[in-house]
Amino acid sequence: MIAIKGFKQGLLVIFSDSSNQPWLTRLRELEAKLSANPGFFKGGSVAFDVKATPLSEDDLRRSIELLQSYEVTLWAVLTGDEATRARVRALGLADRLAPPAPAPAPIPHPTREATPFIAATPSPATEPPAHISPIEASDAEGTDGLLVRHRVRSGQVLRHPGHVVVIGDVNPGAQLIAGGDIIVWGRLEGSAHAGALGDDHAVICALEMSPSFIRIADVVRMPRPSKRRSRGKAGSAQMARVEDQEIVFVAWNSADGIFE
Amino acid sequence: MAGEVITVTSGKGGVGKTTTTANVGSALALLGKKVVVFDGDIGLRNLDIVMGLENRIVYDVVDYVEGRCRLRQALIRDKRAPELYLLPTAQTRDKRAINPDQMIQVCDELRREFDYIIIDSPAGIEQGFHNALAPADRVLVVTNPEVSSVRDADRVIGLVESQQKGPVQLIINRLIAARVKRQEMLSTQDIMDVLSTEIIGIVPEDEAILSSSNRGTPVVFNGKGPAAMAYRDIARRLIGEDVPLSPPQPTSWWQRLFGKTE
Repeated sequence: MIAIKGFKQGLLVIFSDSSNQPWLTRLRELEAKLSANPGFFKGGSVAFDVKATPLSEDDLRRSIELLQSYEVTLWAVLTGDEATRARVRALGLADRLAPPAPAPAPIPHPTREATPFIAATPSPATEPPAHISPIEASDAEGTDGLLVRHRVRSGQVLRHPGHVVVIGDVNPGAQLIAGGDIIVWGRLEGSAHAGALGDDHAVICALEMSPSFIRIADVVRMPRPSKRRSRGKAGSAQMARVEDQEIVFVAWNSADGIFE
Repeated sequence: MAGEVITVTSGKGGVGKTTTTANVGSALALLGKKVVVFDGDIGLRNLDIVMGLENRIVYDVVDYVEGRCRLRQALIRDKRAPELYLLPTAQTRDKRAINPDQMIQVCDELRREFDYIIIDSPAGIEQGFHNALAPADRVLVVTNPEVSSVRDADRVIGLVESQQKGPVQLIINRLIAARVKRQEMLSTQDIMDVLSTEIIGIVPEDEAILSSSNRGTPVVFNGKGPAAMAYRDIARRLIGEDVPLSPPQPTSWWQRLFGKTE
């Protein structure tokens, strides 16, 4: 069994302990997920949690290669096996989700928010993809969704197998990718892909809907002819969803009973 | 008190980083501060030309980092202000000649002697940018009132914030009020809608800039035009003076007809 969880740091692929299958068989299982939802994984970076399964150097290299062929970077492998841990380190991968802290962290400054961004271009190994804060204890079980309380800027990518919620504007050039729904409490001008693991019942909501690109599951909607920043009139809140293999926008005030 | 390192950057090229560095640095020096302007663009150096100090370069920062000279020997004194220096970079090397740790070390040494170290970042977001950002206490992002430059500024601000550098302050450069009024150019408000970053200066388009760059005399030394005034205001805001931001007014038709008012 393979489970994929989302952390603020990115994706964690968990290979549960119970299976005694050879590693290649389990990689095939992962490949099935990758090939079924390339749009969700492409350009991302993942960590593996392999529990106590011992892995050879060859196993690790094959894993890296498999991910690379889907344009995904492996940056860390968590393992309960000491010999495997040594091989992970030898390949220049991290063996934990947090970068080694130089000193016990002081009490976090209350006004300073963590930066939950998954960098668009992951840096090679040993550190979480560039500029990511150390993992927080409350994240240890993964989260159903990702909540971000600030503006998402050009070049920043938020990727999560659950829902993505942004309280703030999503600027042009920013990218949201969610296995579930996407909610933007602000202006959506970047690109948004909801239901990226195949769920075409997923929806995208925004207070102001002017995305550069929008996609739900495999259904794509090209940008509407841009009314070049009709700010001020600020259209009403809208929801995008799939109807008859097409993405439609529904103004929120007429959305009663939208889910039947 | 240790000096402050201010990095001038933009993402996009050609928006006025070098002009801003030269003028803000010179204006700070004219306010009596000890200033060094530091060219961070290894291999494509320009700051020396804009400052008019090109033919006085003997050593550069790469010579210092590689042990061929002392830091003092690489600094070029600009006699037009009491305490203004240029730290040039190498023209024949590339960005890999210096790493971020060395930039921090050089700046730490400069901090002991100077009030302000102004680094002119190269365009782009690659190593040269990371070198220029590493020692920064404050980051000035320069943008033009134009969509692609604002998009790049947004990207750069995101990178600066995620490295917890800052504060980030914005300079809107080459604004033409009359064209904003005719809705041919992004307004300050349009830019703020995207970037929502504190503005430290709005520099109007000014013909004086081109000739001053070619002559190697930053406009703040003797210019009376709108850009010179805007750069002096930025310098005063940097030292903590409360100078209100006044949006540039469109020049009226008769001002255009009879030439500039200055």
